[in-house]
Amino acid sequence: MRAKLVLLATIAVLLVCRPLPAKVDLVTLPKRDAVQLTIYNAADLTLVMETRSLTLKAGLNRLQFSWANTLIDPTSLEMLPGAHAGDLDIVDLAFPPRMQNLGLWQVQSRFSGDVPVEITYLTSGLTWRAFYMGTVSPDEKAMRVHGYVRVSNNSGEDYENAKVRMIVGKINLIDAIVNLARREHPYGRPGPPPGVLRKETDAKAPRIAEEKQVFMRAAEVMEGKPKAIKKEGLSEYFLYTIEGTETIPHGWSKRMPSFEVQEIPVTNLYKYEEERYGEQTSRSLSFKNDKQHKLGDTPIPGGIMKVYRNVGDGTHLSYEGQSRFKYIPVEKEVELDLGLVDTVIVKPTLMGFKTDKYRFDPKGNISGWDEIQEYAVEVKNTRQIPIQVVIKRNFKTPSWNILNTGDFGTYEKVDLDTVQFRLALRARETKKFQYVLTAHHGERANEN
Amino acid sequence: MKRRICIYLLVGICIWFFFLVAPVAARIKLVALPERGSTSIRLDNPLATLIEEERVLTLQKGLNLVDFSWKGVSIDVDSIRLTLLTHAEDVTLLSVSYPPEEPALVWGIYSEQPLEVQVRISYLLSQIDRLITYKGIAGTTETWMDLKMFLILRNFSGEDFEKAAIILDEDQSYEKSIQHGETRQLLVLDKKRIPIEKVWTFDARTLPWDPEQLDTNVGIPVSYRVENRPLAGLGESSLMAGKVRIFQEDGHGSTIFLGEDTTDVVPVGDKLEIYIGDSRDIVVTQRKMQEKKINIRRNKKNQIVLYDTDELIKATIENFKAKPATLTMIQHIPGQWEMVECNMAYTRKDAHTLNFEMVLPPHEKREVTMHYCRRNLR
Repeated sequence: MRAKLVLLATIAVLLVCRPLPAKVDLVTLPKRDAVQLTIYNAADLTLVMETRSLTLKAGLNRLQFSWANTLIDPTSLEMLPGAHAGDLDIVDLAFPPRMQNLGLWQVQSRFSGDVPVEITYLTSGLTWRAFYMGTVSPDEKAMRVHGYVRVSNNSGEDYENAKVRMIVGKINLIDAIVNLARREHPYGRPGPPPGVLRKETDAKAPRIAEEKQVFMRAAEVMEGKPKAIKKEGLSEYFLYTIEGTETIPHGWSKRMPSFEVQEIPVTNLYKYEEERYGEQTSRSLSFKNDKQHKLGDTPIPGGIMKVYRNVGDGTHLSYEGQSRFKYIPVEKEVELDLGLVDTVIVKPTLMGFKTDKYRFDPKGNISGWDEIQEYAVEVKNTRQIPIQVVIKRNFKTPSWNILNTGDFGTYEKVDLDTVQFRLALRARETKKFQYVLTAHHGERANEN
Repeated sequence: MKRRICIYLLVGICIWFFFLVAPVAARIKLVALPERGSTSIRLDNPLATLIEEERVLTLQKGLNLVDFSWKGVSIDVDSIRLTLLTHAEDVTLLSVSYPPEEPALVWGIYSEQPLEVQVRISYLLSQIDRLITYKGIAGTTETWMDLKMFLILRNFSGEDFEKAAIILDEDQSYEKSIQHGETRQLLVLDKKRIPIEKVWTFDARTLPWDPEQLDTNVGIPVSYRVENRPLAGLGESSLMAGKVRIFQEDGHGSTIFLGEDTTDVVPVGDKLEIYIGDSRDIVVTQRKMQEKKINIRRNKKNQIVLYDTDELIKATIENFKAKPATLTMIQHIPGQWEMVECNMAYTRKDAHTLNFEMVLPPHEKREVTMHYCRRNLR
């Protein structure tokens, strides 16, 4: 009895642990001729286009396509003939009862012979992201930028020799592809509750693929040089196409260089705004995605940039910080926010305070007044390089006027209760300026 | 799967009497199984599916009892109708009875003489319905697209249908077999090169005013507009509600996926607007530059009882694209208001909504200022 129990338990464990092989197959022709992956970064979504060659007979042909243990959205399946389109009618696509992950096309053909077809579908599990490394020059006037993309495949399917394309852009999605892929029935069942989910498959389970690792390395060695990435705009998106083909087995990721630009002129910008940064300044490197800055051919996908600085004899590095930045359109200025620093000090000091011009209602209560604040602002650059400083002041009232003095140009009104002062400081320079703010409260606001 | 819906013909008054007095389990069914003739599945109402099946009943002279029962399917019992297609003048439907605790009904049919009568039985069947999906492939210029409409037939009713007429509306019918548990996708519309208009929309009520303050990009919603009219290659009938997926030719022999949306029914003459995604190459930054009370009116206690406001809104619109873009900017001013000065023409969509339509050339930066007064605020 005990022996039987052990045996049963072993079988159960084997059944549970055995990884199910992924399968994407068209029974009449088991092999893809070519495959193209268009991977999106704003959503877990990849458009797959396979080219296969079918042997059709004249009359009705039934073609089976199955995708067990993958994350394919069956509602996106489509087959289009690549030739003899006038002789082929795709009658329908059926998802037969009692069979999961299987579609059956009925194709009426007036032609007999080989026909190339394109099969397209959306799948989940393939992702890509951009990341960057910037190295600023010792004088911090220029930065060298290396851009990379990292493509990861957790789709459950191995894609060998695939043409890889990446899309930058935010698309509107009604349903997450992964949810569509996990439905028990491709379009759900009629009536509530819609879309019963089946148990998660092992598509994301790690798999041992030593032979694939060897294959990947061999392919990389054969290439001998980094692959170029072609960039082009389509609709509201940007399409990045990696030169040649890539093999990305399930569970693997691949990092590829996307661009390298030397000597991008950058401005050291320090921002002070109490409401956002407290009493410290926030350091940023700013540049524009344009020709003047040796960029401007395409937008730059959002990502994280790690910024280093050349120090010593130029071969050593100092880590300056990292910045997560948004998508940067062409011609748009970008500020890489490197975080709070104490090397540039902005110190606004309230030097005078008074109230004036009180107004009273008929009952003798105060109904309005002016508040006059006199500020002295000291801006100190402790660094050995010239910098720019932007100081924002929020007045929290829409009715105000300001008088200013000191060694700065002029202030700029940002919105109805915010102004900003912009200063350029030389290395180790300190500047001071003053301003007098008169804020009108209550009835006094109505008089101005 | 075997057919679950059966029809039985019970003949004779004596049997009818026995049938009334017998307990349920003992109910005797005399089987004269008329074969189901042509069957149609009507899907024109998205909320309910009507099955119509034709059968031939062999009637005796006098009262005939016809037993209609079903098992393993969900029929709305109050929806069952019997229509006489032949010999209507010789045959009278006298009664409809429901046996206790059993999914069935019994028709009492009086016939003047022995006849073979063709009848149509109609009923609403659950768990069988249709969905509509669309697939559009826009050209590289985004001025036209090919549009396909698919009918998705889902049958989880418990009943198999062999060569049934699938009726989508008065003009569209398809003969298909569909088994219980099966889903079938049919192409029902395939139109080429339908004109489309691409539009960008900034709605000041729903989108952030100052994108610089946010850690993520603020996208301007982008839509395709398609007119359901003959000049646009459509307009034969209303476009049904469903999910729309839009792709675009990439100029290299394949496509990219642009986005998806759902649509309500689009009657002939109306526009279908498909929101595909967001543009991050058009940036709108809007700020209120001024707001103050004017024309203040007071009561005898010098309290403010009525006032106007003087407000100034400045919107900066930047097109970072290398192509022109048609932007609709929607602004909202609540209450009673008057425009003092505005540097761009607008149309009033309603009392409180202003539409600014502008064509932005490539790399254009434009500023819209609205100086307006809101009146008679309390």
